[in-house]
Amino acid sequence: MAGKIAIKFYGLMRRQVQTRAVEIETDEMSVLELLFLAEQKTGQNFLAELLDPEKKLLTGTMILVNGENIRLMQNLETRARGGDTIDLFAPAGGG
Amino acid sequence: MNGWMGKIVEIDLSSMKQETVPISAEIRRQYLGGRGLGVKLYTELCHAQTDPFAADNALIFMTGPLTGTVMTSGRYQVVSRSPLTGTICDSSSGGSFGAVLKSAGLDGLVIQGRADHPVYLYVHDGEIEVRDASALWGLNTQQTQKAIQAETTAKTSVACIGPAGENRVIFAAIMNDKDRAAGRGGMGAVMGSKNLKAIAASGSQPVAISDPEGYKALNARIDRIVDKNPVTGKSLQVLGTSVLVNIINAHGMFPTENFRRGVFNDAEGTSGEKIAETLLQHQSACFKCPIGCGRTTKTKNKQGEGPEYETVWAFGAHLGVSDLTAITEANYACNELGLDTITMGSTIGCAMELCETGAWKENMHWGDAGKLLGWVEDTAYQRGIGVELALGSKRLAAKYGRPELAMQVKGMEIPAYDPRGAQGMALSYATSNRGGCHMRAYMISPEILGHPVFLDRFSTAGKAEIVALFQDISALVDSTVLCRFLQFAMGISTFTDMLRVVTGLDFNDDELMKIGRRVYTLERIFNNRAGFGRRDDTLPPRVLREEFQTGSSRHRVVRLEEMLDRYYAVRGWDKDGVPLPQTLAELGL
Repeated sequence: MAGKIAIKFYGLMRRQVQTRAVEIETDEMSVLELLFLAEQKTGQNFLAELLDPEKKLLTGTMILVNGENIRLMQNLETRARGGDTIDLFAPAGGG
Repeated sequence: MNGWMGKIVEIDLSSMKQETVPISAEIRRQYLGGRGLGVKLYTELCHAQTDPFAADNALIFMTGPLTGTVMTSGRYQVVSRSPLTGTICDSSSGGSFGAVLKSAGLDGLVIQGRADHPVYLYVHDGEIEVRDASALWGLNTQQTQKAIQAETTAKTSVACIGPAGENRVIFAAIMNDKDRAAGRGGMGAVMGSKNLKAIAASGSQPVAISDPEGYKALNARIDRIVDKNPVTGKSLQVLGTSVLVNIINAHGMFPTENFRRGVFNDAEGTSGEKIAETLLQHQSACFKCPIGCGRTTKTKNKQGEGPEYETVWAFGAHLGVSDLTAITEANYACNELGLDTITMGSTIGCAMELCETGAWKENMHWGDAGKLLGWVEDTAYQRGIGVELALGSKRLAAKYGRPELAMQVKGMEIPAYDPRGAQGMALSYATSNRGGCHMRAYMISPEILGHPVFLDRFSTAGKAEIVALFQDISALVDSTVLCRFLQFAMGISTFTDMLRVVTGLDFNDDELMKIGRRVYTLERIFNNRAGFGRRDDTLPPRVLREEFQTGSSRHRVVRLEEMLDRYYAVRGWDKDGVPLPQTLAELGL
């Protein structure tokens, strides 16, 4: 079922992209495909903050689909559907 | 001697006698300094039933062999028995006090007895001068530091207590270098019980380095490592520790209204991003620190330090408060009065729930930002409602017949990561030697942040091994004494390299891990003798039985029993959590 997937930027990602969120209308799509579309939509090449040149997740990158890390699912091939939320965090830490 | 200054002084404030504490080369190598050597000395001087406020309780300020040398080496550790928990406790603080104490000629100070009037100690040129502090008693921590600097030198570094410590609030902090805090466990109250207002230090003695050329090359290498790492070289610098607000909230484990929910709807308004956009004046850094995670902030009324992540949570989501100015000013007040922000906020949250349930007939409500400052001040001065809040959550909830509403372990309030969202963090809280603390084994790193590897946060498999390993590494780093944030960028071998170059001793990674394990086990032995065992290695019933209904940590509880036996086995402890004789023999205990 078609719907909007919200892709939200936080922390350093937000500072780079200069926006809090974009929406992409689709039935279903892989996270990687959605990230490419989000790059086009924002006009910002933010993927280098999250992925290495071979499009593998960098250590510490957090990409959540509905609050769960895609590393616990199918990584960048995890499917997202209309109505889902994707949160993007560059590597971060604290205590 | 390289690395160490070779001098630890014991001072009895009752008799004002001073003597040098002899430390053999073997003991120094087995415990290093900081937390390790502090715990070793404490357990030799005091028994497990020592009243934290008795004159014969020792309060130990320690630096380590790396203090005053490589990056982030301004820190110090304070060791004593905690009045909050009854466990052994070490509390750590940044700034420059540790490095300055060493430049004044000391590796550490052991304080015993009780002065018959307020005093402060001035350490310089390897000597300790006892000075009258009657005129300082009652001053806040900022005023105290300025007054002592006016009496000594502008460069004097001061670790002091505020009114909360003077009034023996059992979660009073020791504050140094303006707003750096040895916050947890009530070390400030122990200091107050000794009529000791402050320790001031100034000096210019350098730390001798065994291999100056190697030291230079090593510093260049660790500069590159820290700069290149995205956490230490970027995130912590730009957004501080509060970058975690949105991350932990998105994982559905940002404790809200006394751990009743894991998602705070107003998290964004209290986030590190929001602080950077609104209150932030500039970042601030401790001695020789290239990271600079500190936040110098300004509200309409005041300027100060913070809030850090834990404080944003303790006065924010935990209380249902989304007013960032109120949170920040409550933080400033805790700094000035000398209070641990985590226990303060958590106790207020516990009180709010007690009031909501009708167990306590007081006027405290979720979201009541306007009253925060008053509650903090009343607690520090132990007046009005503050007399009750000064009990901390465990005693407060027990007093009003609802002990399960205190979100604590062994009497110390657990911080800003709901353990239902990370099973390893849960085990870390439950087995922490000083109670509900996130710094003994920061399992958020692998379970949420993906450092150094990513682990399934909801799985219990393998968590016992990793928690024990992290606890040992933390005990080691606290004994060197360096900032734990370095662990985001470097592994154990870099710490080994640092110790070898500075001290000239041929340490290796295995030996360092054994030091960490020895320290952790010695702390456990003390706690066993103080009456702590398996029944205390647990968590608040809420996180063991109640599930969240929303957020991505919903329908989960902590499965502690799946991990605890394995943890004890990994540690070489029996089923009651008591170290086995062969474990003690292996560690030379």
